[in-house]
Amino acid sequence: MTSTTAFLSFDDVVAGYGGGDVLKRVNFVVQEGGVTCIVGPNGSGKSTLLKTVSGLLRPRLGQILFKGTPLVGKTPREILKMGIVQVPQQHSLFKEMTVEENVSLGAFLVRDRSEVSRRLESVREIFPIVTARAKDKAGSLSGGQQRLVEFARCLMLEPELVVLDEPSMGLDPKTLRSMFHTVKLMNEMGRTVLLVEQNARQALKMSHHGVVLENGQVRLSGTGKEVLNNPEIGALYLGGTFHSKPPAPEDTAMKETD
Amino acid sequence: MNGTAVLHSIIDGVLTGSVYALMATGLTLIFGVMNIINVAQGIFVILGAYLSYALSVHLGIDLFVGLAITIPTLFVVGVVVERLFLTRIKGPERVVMSILVTYAVSLVIEGVLNMVFSTNYVELHAWYVDRSVKVFGIYLPYIYLLGFAMAVVLLTALYVMLYRTRFGSSVRASLADQTSAALVGINVKRVSTVCFGLGVAVTAAGGMIYGATNAFNASSSYDLISRLLVIIVLGGMGSIGGALVAGIMMVTIEDLVSVVWGPVWSNLAFFLILVVVLSLRPQGLFGKQTVRVA
Repeated sequence: MTSTTAFLSFDDVVAGYGGGDVLKRVNFVVQEGGVTCIVGPNGSGKSTLLKTVSGLLRPRLGQILFKGTPLVGKTPREILKMGIVQVPQQHSLFKEMTVEENVSLGAFLVRDRSEVSRRLESVREIFPIVTARAKDKAGSLSGGQQRLVEFARCLMLEPELVVLDEPSMGLDPKTLRSMFHTVKLMNEMGRTVLLVEQNARQALKMSHHGVVLENGQVRLSGTGKEVLNNPEIGALYLGGTFHSKPPAPEDTAMKETD
Repeated sequence: MNGTAVLHSIIDGVLTGSVYALMATGLTLIFGVMNIINVAQGIFVILGAYLSYALSVHLGIDLFVGLAITIPTLFVVGVVVERLFLTRIKGPERVVMSILVTYAVSLVIEGVLNMVFSTNYVELHAWYVDRSVKVFGIYLPYIYLLGFAMAVVLLTALYVMLYRTRFGSSVRASLADQTSAALVGINVKRVSTVCFGLGVAVTAAGGMIYGATNAFNASSSYDLISRLLVIIVLGGMGSIGGALVAGIMMVTIEDLVSVVWGPVWSNLAFFLILVVVLSLRPQGLFGKQTVRVA
């Protein structure tokens, strides 16, 4: 599965906390320009996997390559400089700071002030809330609004890879749709997206690739549609099969990993 | 008791309280960013006082001019202590371990100061230490006014640094959430080191004023640290604004009660207010009710 030309690849990644391993030899590849969605039950290691990408957790074994460059051992700051931005599961805005300050911090690594202003203008066009609530404290925004501002902040670095850890958590259905629409928009802007999502059905529908993680290992990987239509996966993680009729044999011809 | 005496005690409280607020701001900045309770802050204040004493007595350098040397010196001391001892403290017991480690640092510095300067009490002297100016019938010591002015200047500089600079943004972000700060590219370790240095550096200024208004030896640090801890607990752990308000409030209440009911009651009244405030707001006046993890 390893390829030096892959955009992002996980090669036998083992990681965990304390004495136990959460990830047990994870292998898969994220394709450039697409949306890759990781699904799986609670405790399967989805968020842990993302932490190894952003440098918050160092794998014990294995390697993660971003465009052929190893990520293991790099600090979150160094990984950001390579063009990988993570939006964590819990709301990560600095609540006592204004919306504008929060968004500007997204370009903390950019020294050129005029460049920061240019990016801020660009982000404002995509996310009107950044202008509308610019001087409000981030803590005064609703959960959905905070998520949008987090997206705006992550785009300030003009990243190549956006890593999203359960962005739909705690959002109402209407905001949820808007959030998924924004993820799609980010992808259309040329950002590769790696997404962990509990709301698996909706996430897989908009994803080019799907990965099912179970007990710290890749159980299945394939296109988003393939994962969505797999009857076993549907029953286990998607609350029953998605289609009323059985999927065509070619739809289930996905790669299985033991 | 008369109105002038009460007014005098309030003014004295505000003037000297601002210096305590400055010292406590350093302590709360360190806690807010690093999750470390620096119980060595008291001995750093005394170290600052002794440095001013040495420069004044042996080199004849004016107390305020000497701050140009003592403030950077204590900044470096803070950075060295942080790098040597505090970066190694990790895990869920970090807060408790930080108390033990900084207490050990405090004992070492206290021992060195006792060896170098003996345990005899000393005081800082300058022409303005024993002189006063009469304003509306109230005598105000120059040293209190100068100390207040210095505290205002340093606190303003701190405010400008925190709210008008890129580094200040990184400090405030680290104060709020270290993981999120790291995820936007802030070097939280470097911010922590600089903040510890800054938090210790302000004790040089506080120590000089303390030494000019009180006779002191190394053991004076115990009274100081208990006051500083009370100030940041009352103001809210990690809240810089809270440290300011509580610092001024503490000294003003002590002075006021001392004038109205007598010095015996001053400490009691203050701690009574502390207990009442914490009963109603356990997080302190301006603290946030949050549960810290590791």
